[in-house]
Amino acid sequence: MSVSDRHGALSLAPSYYEALHRLTLELAGINLGASHAFLVETRLSRLARDEGYESLDAMINELFKNGSSRLAVQVVSALTERDTHFFKDKLAFDRLEKIVLPDLHRKRGGGRVRLLSFGCASGQEPYGMAMVLDRMSEQLEGLKIDIVGVDYPSQALDRARQGIYTHFEVQRGLPIQDLVKYFEPAKTDWAVKSHIKDRVEFRDVHLLSKLDGLEDFHAVMFCGSLPHYSAPARVRVLRGLSGLVKENGFLILGRGEDLSQMNFGFDRVDGSAGLYKKREIPVIVEPEIDESLKVPNGRTTFEKTSKRRKTSMPT
Amino acid sequence: MKTCLIVDDSRMIRRVAGRIVKDLGFETIEAVNGQDALDKCGLDMPHAVLVDWAMPVMDGFDFVKNLREMPGGDKPIVVFCTAVRDVERIVEALAAGADEYVMKPFDSDIIESKFALAGLV
Repeated sequence: MSVSDRHGALSLAPSYYEALHRLTLELAGINLGASHAFLVETRLSRLARDEGYESLDAMINELFKNGSSRLAVQVVSALTERDTHFFKDKLAFDRLEKIVLPDLHRKRGGGRVRLLSFGCASGQEPYGMAMVLDRMSEQLEGLKIDIVGVDYPSQALDRARQGIYTHFEVQRGLPIQDLVKYFEPAKTDWAVKSHIKDRVEFRDVHLLSKLDGLEDFHAVMFCGSLPHYSAPARVRVLRGLSGLVKENGFLILGRGEDLSQMNFGFDRVDGSAGLYKKREIPVIVEPEIDESLKVPNGRTTFEKTSKRRKTSMPT
Repeated sequence: MKTCLIVDDSRMIRRVAGRIVKDLGFETIEAVNGQDALDKCGLDMPHAVLVDWAMPVMDGFDFVKNLREMPGGDKPIVVFCTAVRDVERIVEALAAGADEYVMKPFDSDIIESKFALAGLV
């Protein structure tokens, strides 16, 4: 059954829906599924309007005829934007509050800690992290915490930077006490108050690219996206994340998500599904050559050992 | 089955909210103002109350204050459901004994989310 048969009259030629499906898989590693025509119609029509195109058809024509990479990223970002809300994954936030932050505080005391929200969409997750930190400020006394939210450059990420949410968005998942404490009215919307907004930095990052430009983090939240990735993209993104988490740092996945057969250098925290701790890089004892014992042919007659750190790649 | 008292002077709101709350597994009872709601709570205390602010005879604010002073009136989870959006008024409602607060217009996702936050579903 063709896309147009399934969805009735549509704005685009059927081949474009298949092309957008392939483009999203290639650029973001995300399989949109069979009903993506609805996403194309709703989300891309809005993008076309905001970008000043006469119609959705005009924008998609431009995309496939002229191959603008900026437009391609915008289109894919719009198609893959998750329907999210504040504290959407309650279990993940519980892990952050009850296990991860107390552990980091215990080990680091007064140091600086960096947290990452990977795939932060319109910002509810990193702002939620900032609210948790605010609530725990006495318990975490002395710990300086930076929060970074990353995602593809998109309208959603622009909205995250603005920190302004609609009447409907602030009423999904957010307790009324938090609305009063952390938001202020902004015309018909609600704006995140500055003491929360200023704690979060947002960056444009292609989530499947090399993540070399990012520093390493003590904890990474990556919730709700993993099941949507194709198998190769899942390996790629988790390998990239593994390189971002510090030794003994944490990876917090969403409810029902796990690393399955691969571990990427993480161990599952006992009794906590979806919570992983990065292994310490092992200390390997290697022989050290005693120069005085070298014989003329360059071989060594005796080797003494001493401890030396050697880095190894995580499995 | 858990019961939810829906208090609003608008028949349409009672009907729309009632349908949403029934879908969440509640049996619904209706009241048209705060006094009517207090009378119904006196007969049988509900598990939850969804109450408007501005109503004739007795408004939602006075209803909550009176409810919390009734025997067993501390038990129901009270969720305001109102067009009033001032932060000061929201704070007053919470101080009077409300557990959660829905700003109109609302949809089923919002009611479900607020009931979940209040531990009702």
